[in-house]
Amino acid sequence: MTLLVADLRAFVAAVRKELRQVRRYPTLLLSILFWPVLLPTAWVLMGRAYSGNDPQALEAFAQRAGSPQVAGFVFVGYAMYMWLSTLLWGPGTALRTEQVRGSLEAVFLTPASRLVPLFGPGAANILPASLNFVVMGVALWLLFGFVPTFQATLWTLVIIVLGVPAMYAIGALFAASVLRFGEVGPVVQLVRGIFVLACGITFPVAMLPGWAQVSAWLLPPTYIVEDIRRVLLQGAGPADVTEHVILVLAMAVITAAAAAMVFRALETSARRTGMLSRF
Amino acid sequence: MTAPAVETKDLVKVFERGRRTIWQRLRREPDRRERFSAVDGIDLRVETGEIFGLLGPNGAGKTTTMKMLATLLIPTSGSIRVLGIDPLERPRDVRARLGAMLSGERSLYWKLTARENLEYFAALYHVSPNQTRARIERALAAVNLSDRADDYVERYSTGMRQRLALARALLPDPPLVILDEPTVGLDPQASRDLRDRVRELRAQGRTVLLTTHYMEEADQLCDRVAIIDHGRIVALDTPAALKRTIRAEEVVHLELGIDGDDRTVLEHLGRMATVARSERTNGTLAVTAHCASARDFVPAAFDAARSAGATIRHVEVVPVTLEDVFLSLTGRALRE
Amino acid sequence: MIGDVRAALAIARKDIRNLSRYRIAVASMAFTPLYQFVIPAFLFGAAFAVNGRATGLTATLGTDDLTGFIFLGGVVAGIVSTAFWGMAMSIRNEMDMGTLEPSWLTPTSHEMFVIGRAIGGMLFLILTQAALFLFGILFMGLRLRPEMLLALPAVLLALLSMVGIAYLLAGIVLLIREANFFIDTANFLFVTISGVSFPVTLLPGVLQPIALALPTTYAVDILRVQALGARPLFGVGIEYGLLVAGTAIAYPLGRWAFARAERTMRRRGMLSQY
Repeated sequence: MTLLVADLRAFVAAVRKELRQVRRYPTLLLSILFWPVLLPTAWVLMGRAYSGNDPQALEAFAQRAGSPQVAGFVFVGYAMYMWLSTLLWGPGTALRTEQVRGSLEAVFLTPASRLVPLFGPGAANILPASLNFVVMGVALWLLFGFVPTFQATLWTLVIIVLGVPAMYAIGALFAASVLRFGEVGPVVQLVRGIFVLACGITFPVAMLPGWAQVSAWLLPPTYIVEDIRRVLLQGAGPADVTEHVILVLAMAVITAAAAAMVFRALETSARRTGMLSRF
Repeated sequence: MTAPAVETKDLVKVFERGRRTIWQRLRREPDRRERFSAVDGIDLRVETGEIFGLLGPNGAGKTTTMKMLATLLIPTSGSIRVLGIDPLERPRDVRARLGAMLSGERSLYWKLTARENLEYFAALYHVSPNQTRARIERALAAVNLSDRADDYVERYSTGMRQRLALARALLPDPPLVILDEPTVGLDPQASRDLRDRVRELRAQGRTVLLTTHYMEEADQLCDRVAIIDHGRIVALDTPAALKRTIRAEEVVHLELGIDGDDRTVLEHLGRMATVARSERTNGTLAVTAHCASARDFVPAAFDAARSAGATIRHVEVVPVTLEDVFLSLTGRALRE
Repeated sequence: MIGDVRAALAIARKDIRNLSRYRIAVASMAFTPLYQFVIPAFLFGAAFAVNGRATGLTATLGTDDLTGFIFLGGVVAGIVSTAFWGMAMSIRNEMDMGTLEPSWLTPTSHEMFVIGRAIGGMLFLILTQAALFLFGILFMGLRLRPEMLLALPAVLLALLSMVGIAYLLAGIVLLIREANFFIDTANFLFVTISGVSFPVTLLPGVLQPIALALPTTYAVDILRVQALGARPLFGVGIEYGLLVAGTAIAYPLGRWAFARAERTMRRRGMLSQY
């Protein structure tokens, strides 16, 4: 029991350290306000160019996307993109920096659980990520006049909260694997690229070729985005998304286990070769 | 008499600390930035063909002076002539004749080989293509890196990178070479090696101006040394002449055990030698004394200590160094 | 002068050499425009297609060539980001790495550090654009018309004006603290407001005068008019005139700003601050 409490305290300390860093870089805060508005707005305007206000074109989009709400569709997709971005950048860079600086070794010297450095940095991103969602919601309302019902908002929140474990598990799995590559930046670009193409971020998954659609439905973000769009844009209720939510939770368990395994394997190999600080 | 390689008159550089935000500018708020003089009226004259050293602690204004000579900084006031040219009026002409090594190993491309680094900088130094090859070979040979020329710089040791930075400074075949802390961060062997290279530069007829905060380096390497502190030159001469200024043949470091007041014992010691420095830590008093003869002073010091109720625990006699000169001029040690 | 030209070429060669040794980074640079823009934009646009035709785009622009629309926008986006990242930000990166100081100690004119990078950046841009176009032709049904070559002067002018703007940007990023954020945001806004991803007529009213002041806006437009037969903003002749005027202003303005920034740095001594 005491060990659990100590671990929890170590975890909180890791989160606090990350938050402090966020505060020291003011432009980080500025980018939390800028990008979530600028990027999706540009895509909504692209949608206007592609539709040309042609009723037939809009109808075609509605059929493929499940809703004629282009702005809502894009903003939900981009919210997921932002979330994924912070989850890939944050923990990956944090763990890599700790590795390079040698402080990862220092953490391994403490009795704290190995899971603390793996999952701690991700948790610190909860605050910026939620801020992202709020900013995007406000932008959607102010720029495009989209206001969801209270109920839809509530169910969206539930889907997001239940999606958290899966998303953080992805961040942790990525962070653990990235230690092998050395350079975090290019790998983030690559992995994020795959998610953008596969998970229906800026276009309906139905637009993908068959084989790509199959792989898309193996990734938790695809379900989360789809479900949020259903409740927010199509008026679906909890019963319509329960199946997906359970599936996402199951995927979270598998991904988290994989992350812990990769991290453990890395630590074991490091202890054997004595090369924790450089791979 | 030939023209000096470097000449400065009343050189001053004032920096501002802190920032003045756009908001403050727009509201025309008074400028509250703190100003400090990094260089505060330096007169220098470095003769052609000598190795001249600027010796001083970190933050004394050595690097700022070097950067002004190298055209990287504009002085607040005063005049500069580098090889007879005013760097403010003709910065590019100065740069074409000057070999400078300012920030050692970080200033190289680590993902390029030594040769590729030098090829690149040779072009920037406007070395003509038919001379480039020979010039690079000569520069590499001068710093003993010919056999590792095709290795990536990332595989080099710190000392090798420092030498490569020196090779780069030699590319324009400069009559004047300026080196900012050339041996900082190097192990003793690598430092010795680099100093040998600097002596060779003088043998080739080049003028070398270097900064250092290692007194041994200034002593062994330089023909003349300017001791610089708080942006001012406090002494300038040959190392031997500088050491003579403190009118002592030897320096004695004493460590005394003392319980009560230390004024009496310092007074006694002061009658027989110059007490350059004394520092009290709890029951221990450390004293540095400059004297004509340690043979006479040490026994007398024992008597003085006994009569003041103190005991001498440790005695060390050393020859006079530039460190002592700095100490006698500023009351502080170089590394403080 | 000859020495400076040679130095500029050496800078370009060094940049390409240096870059070629970071393979993962190069791969990701080539992949980024594909995943971030080209493919998603194409699939997004295709989601509006009626019976396989981009009727919506025809209503907006007078052409239904969705792929061509996206790829030609990409050319100008590539030029802009080469100026922002390759020419301006890379100077800042050298400053942070510590290699700018020894370069500035050489007699090479400091302007050459922008020009040299422009040459290196352009070579790299041509390579990446060629790879992108190849991908487009093979997998996305991109068709190129020979009339496209008529827009080449517009592309070259846009390039020249962007070198001018790169001077200005280099001056800014050498002085400010959060250079990365500045370049990232400004690059996105510049590309978007130039009409790369959608026609500038769809921009909110306040942004339209800015769009019309950017030389790249006309380069994008001329390119699409010549190559796709899209409806022009004003007419190709007028747009060429505006493009030349924009370049004529941007170039000297940029050089002036760069020289000023350089002087400020020599006064304040920021060259080796990191």
